[in-house]
Amino acid sequence: MTTAIIPLPIAIPLIVAAFLAFAGKGIGRRACDLLAIATAAANLWMTAIILRGTWSQPQVYWFGNWWPRTGGVALGISFVVDAFGAALAMLVSLLTIAGLIFSWKIFEDTENHFQPLMLIFMAAMCGFSYTGDLFNLFVFFELMSVSAFALCGLKTLEPAPLQGAFNFAIVNTIGAFMIVMGIGLLYARTGALNFAQVGRSLGTHADALVLLAFLLIVVGYLAKAAIVPFHFWLADAHAVAPSPVCVLFSGVMVELGIYAVARIYWTIFAGSLAGHAHELRLIFIVMASITAVVGAVMCYAEHHLKRLLAFSTIAHSGLMLVGVGLLSPGALAGFVLYVLSHGVIKGGLFLCAGIVLHRFQRIGEDHLHGCGRGMWFTAALFILGAWGLAGAPPFATLLGEHFVSHSAEAVRLHWPVYIFIFAEVLTSAAVLRIAFRIFFGWGQPAPSDKSSQIEEKPETEQSHERTPAAMFLPAAALILLGIVLTFLPQIQSRASASAHEFANQSAYARSVLENVQITSTHKGEPENLSSSIVHSCIALLLSVLLALSTVFRDKLGRAVNFTRSLELGNSLLRRAHSGHPGDYVAWLSFGTAVVGLAFLWWLH
Amino acid sequence: MLAYLPYAIAAWVFLWGLYGIVTSKNLVHQVVCVAILQTSTYVLLLAIGYKVGGTAPVFADIPVGTSVVDPLVQALMLTDIVVEAAVMALLLSMVVKANELAGTVDPEELRFLMG
Repeated sequence: MTTAIIPLPIAIPLIVAAFLAFAGKGIGRRACDLLAIATAAANLWMTAIILRGTWSQPQVYWFGNWWPRTGGVALGISFVVDAFGAALAMLVSLLTIAGLIFSWKIFEDTENHFQPLMLIFMAAMCGFSYTGDLFNLFVFFELMSVSAFALCGLKTLEPAPLQGAFNFAIVNTIGAFMIVMGIGLLYARTGALNFAQVGRSLGTHADALVLLAFLLIVVGYLAKAAIVPFHFWLADAHAVAPSPVCVLFSGVMVELGIYAVARIYWTIFAGSLAGHAHELRLIFIVMASITAVVGAVMCYAEHHLKRLLAFSTIAHSGLMLVGVGLLSPGALAGFVLYVLSHGVIKGGLFLCAGIVLHRFQRIGEDHLHGCGRGMWFTAALFILGAWGLAGAPPFATLLGEHFVSHSAEAVRLHWPVYIFIFAEVLTSAAVLRIAFRIFFGWGQPAPSDKSSQIEEKPETEQSHERTPAAMFLPAAALILLGIVLTFLPQIQSRASASAHEFANQSAYARSVLENVQITSTHKGEPENLSSSIVHSCIALLLSVLLALSTVFRDKLGRAVNFTRSLELGNSLLRRAHSGHPGDYVAWLSFGTAVVGLAFLWWLH
Repeated sequence: MLAYLPYAIAAWVFLWGLYGIVTSKNLVHQVVCVAILQTSTYVLLLAIGYKVGGTAPVFADIPVGTSVVDPLVQALMLTDIVVEAAVMALLLSMVVKANELAGTVDPEELRFLMG
C-alpha cells in the first residue's frame, strides 16, 4: 500500500456529496441512493486496505509533501493512521452503508439532502480518526458536528426534532469553543500543532497552563462523548433523529469523543502528566462510573424506544471511558474492542427501532404493547441485541469487557467490574423488556411518561404490513457482526499489540517526525476468558430475570414491586433532564468547574 | 501586567456568554450569546499571536527580518470564524422553524422531550 490512498476516504465522499447536493434533484432519488451507497462501499474498501497497511507500523501522509526535514520539525499537516484510527474509520463506513441502505424505503422526498449530509458526516468522522494534527482534529470535529446537527433536525415538520437538534448544537458548539481555546493555549506553550511535535515540546513539563489546556480539551471532547454531566443533549438528539442517523450517532460519533481524549492523552500529555497518572485515573473512572450508573438507571426508566437506547448509549459510553481512563494499554485494547462491538450492536438495535416505527407509526412502549406479535425475526434481533449489550458470549463485547476489567484488576481497582455488570444488566434488561411487551404481548402495558407520548411523525407515510428487506437485512447484518467480530482471527492479539503501539508516545513521535519505523515487540497472547464469561453469564441471567419480573409484576406479587420504581425512575434525576438548553449549559459549566477543581486539588 | 489583559478579557467574555446562554428566555438571544461566547476565542487566539511592535504578516513588501505577528493563529481564527458562521446560520434557521411550528421562541415552552 502506498500512503497516497490515505486522504481518499475523506476526499471522495466530500466530492460526491457536493455533486449530490448540486445535482441530486436532477438525477432522481434512486440514483442519489445508489451513488451514495456506492461511495460508502468504496470507503469501506479503502479503509480496509488502509487498516491492513497499519498492522506493522503507523502510516503517515503529509499533505503537499511537507514532511519534516532535518531536525524533525513538523510544519506541514499530516494524517497519521494507526490500527485504532483505521479500525474506527472502517466502522464509520460500515455503519454509513447500513444507514443508507435502511433509508432506501424512507424519506419520500429528496429535498432534505439526506444523502449528501450522510456522506459529509462519514468523511468528517474518517478524517477525525486519521488526523495527526490538533487543529485538524478541531476542524473535522466541527464538520462532523455541523452535519450531525443538520441530520438530527432533518424532520423539520415537527417541533420536537428542532428542540433535540438545537440542544445538541448548543452544547456541542460550546464544547468546540473550549477545544479551540485549549488548542490555542497548547500552541502558545509549544508553537506546534502536530500531536507528536506538541508532545515532544511539552516533554515532562506540566504547569497550570498545560493543565488548563488539558481540562478544556478533555471537557470539550467528553461533551461529545456524553459523559455525565455533559450528556443531556444526547437523549434529546437521539430520540428525534431519523433511525439511520441514530446508528451513526450512537454507533460511532459518541465513541469518537472518547477516542479523541485517548489520542490527545497518549500523544501529547502522557509524558507531562505521567507523575499524576494515578490521580488522573481516579478522576476519569469516577466520571465514567457515574455516567454508567446514571445512563443505566435512566435507560430502564424510559419508554420511548429510541430515547431508551440513547440512555443505554450513555451508560456504555461510561463503560468505554473506564477503558480509556485506566490509562493502560491493556484497557485501551478493551476500549477499541468494546467500541467496535457496541457500535454494530447498538446500530442494529436502532435500526430495529426504526423497523418498529415503520410498521406501527408509533415508538412509545406503552402504545405498542402486543402490536408486534408474529414479527419473529425482529423480535429475535431485539433479543440478540440485548444479549450483546449484556456482554455475554459469543458477542465481542465480552472481549472488550474482559480486557478492561482485567487491566483494572492489575492496578488494584476491583469495582469497575461491578459497574460493568450493573450497567449491562439494566441496559440489556430494558431491551428485553421491550421485546417481551411489544413482540410477545406479555404482562400489562408499560407505564407511560412524557417522552413516550411524543407524536413522532413517522419516517414513512402509512403503517405497513411487511418489513422490507432493505430495512431488515442491515439490522440483522449489524447485530450478527457483533458475533463475527469475536471469531476474527487474532483479534485479541491484534487489538492488544495495536494498543501498546497507540500508548507508546516516543515511538509515535519518532515514526511521525523522523520516519523511523518501530516494529512493535509486543506479542499479545490469547487471554483466559473464563472469569469474564462467568461474570457476563451472571449479567445475562440477571437481566432476563429483571425483565421477566418487570413484565409479570402483577402476577408475581409484592416481592418484585421494586421493578415498578425502577421503571418509573428517580424523579429528581428525571427532572434534571429538563429539555431546556440553558439548564444543559449550566450543567456543562458546573461539570467543567468540578473537574477543574479536581485537577487543581490533585494534580497541581 | 498589561500583557495578561487580553487573556483576562477572553475569560470575561467567555463567562458572560455562558451566563447569557444559561439565563436566556429567547432562542434568538441565546444564539447571539453563543456568538458572543465565541468572540472570546478570537480574543484569545489574537492575544497568543500578538507581538509588541509587530506588523501584519504580509511578507511581499516588508524587509527581511521585520518583526511580524504570528500568521498561524490568524489562520486558525479565520477557520474558526468560517466554521462558526455555518453553526450560527444553522442555529438561527432552527429558531425560525421552531417559531413557525410552535409559535414561540421561548426555550421554556419548547420542551417536548424531557425526563
